[in-house]
Amino acid sequence: MMFSESQFDGGSQIANSPATAAANRDTFGLVPLTIKQISEASQSGDDKSNFSVSGADVVNVTVVGMVSNIVERNTDVTFTLDDGTGKLDCKRWLNEPFDRLQMEDIREGIYVHVDGHLKSFKGEKHVAVFSARPVTNFDEITFHFVACIHNHARTTKVQKAQVDAENINSTPKTPIQNGTNGFVSTISSQTSVPFTLDGVKGVDEMVLAYLQHPANYGIEKGIHTDEVAQKLKLPSKKIMESLRTLENDGLIYSTIDEFHYKACEASN
Amino acid sequence: MDTSNPAVLVNGDLLGSYVGRRVRTVIQVVQPSAGGLTGRSTDEKQVVVKGQMPSPVTTFVEVIGVADSAQAITAEIVTNFGDTTFDANNFNQLCQHANGAFRHLFI
Repeated sequence: MMFSESQFDGGSQIANSPATAAANRDTFGLVPLTIKQISEASQSGDDKSNFSVSGADVVNVTVVGMVSNIVERNTDVTFTLDDGTGKLDCKRWLNEPFDRLQMEDIREGIYVHVDGHLKSFKGEKHVAVFSARPVTNFDEITFHFVACIHNHARTTKVQKAQVDAENINSTPKTPIQNGTNGFVSTISSQTSVPFTLDGVKGVDEMVLAYLQHPANYGIEKGIHTDEVAQKLKLPSKKIMESLRTLENDGLIYSTIDEFHYKACEASN
Repeated sequence: MDTSNPAVLVNGDLLGSYVGRRVRTVIQVVQPSAGGLTGRSTDEKQVVVKGQMPSPVTTFVEVIGVADSAQAITAEIVTNFGDTTFDANNFNQLCQHANGAFRHLFI
């Protein structure tokens, strides 16, 4: 009973930390975005210097588009980037020799990758570029847009998982005690949270339930794998796989030899 | 920042849904002609492009322009996309996504 409850809490906590960590990683990495997404970025934070796209913090962005309106000055180069979803103003400060060298390859009408820091000035967003390199293989353009879609899908899934995890914490714990499959099916049916007990399903569930049955749990030397296969009417190979998985998850352990297994907890 | 005039990512099938609007697509050139070219879209539909072409033109070109009909575009910009290494299937699927569930990221 205690094990189930703590597993229940532990499950949602496990879900929270990697999910939160993933969302935090977005703050520091290069986020692929379309210019339309950038235009819709809202400003977050007290000092209004951070942006938020699809609910995730964004600091540095990568954009792919066609260059136009190049204006070269002594200290900087500005240009406009058009990716088909919008036009974005970009500025490259010429601090290092590398900056000047890299900008020599940038000409009007070519497609480039731009990596930079998203900034806002007088309500208008622009990018302070720290790398601008020409596209050499045009699959890179297709790939960039696919990456934008993937990043968006991943970010919104992570947020949904966090919301779901928070909902679980506030759900009363009574559903856990319903029979042998109680806590396992509760978690896997309620959430789309990764990193929990989603792996325990199907055959694994049946094997675990069998071993957790009080009559079987009471047998000190454990249950032979052949008996499990016979009673559940499943092939030995499948039973062995399940037993390995359950053992790795810490739900069962082998006793007198590698063919005898016992559950860590009884079901009732 | 200006998102007022986007070019919708289309393939042959989707071109008809955006007649009169600014579109962009990649076409495999079948036959160059005076003042344009005839090509095949990434989903194997015939498309006729009118406008100024780069010279010489490569096997794949990206056309940004206004859709005149389900099979024709008046081009503003035509960019050479190379002779061999463009993945048409990837681009085709991207068009479907960009006009499907993830439309809001693009237009």
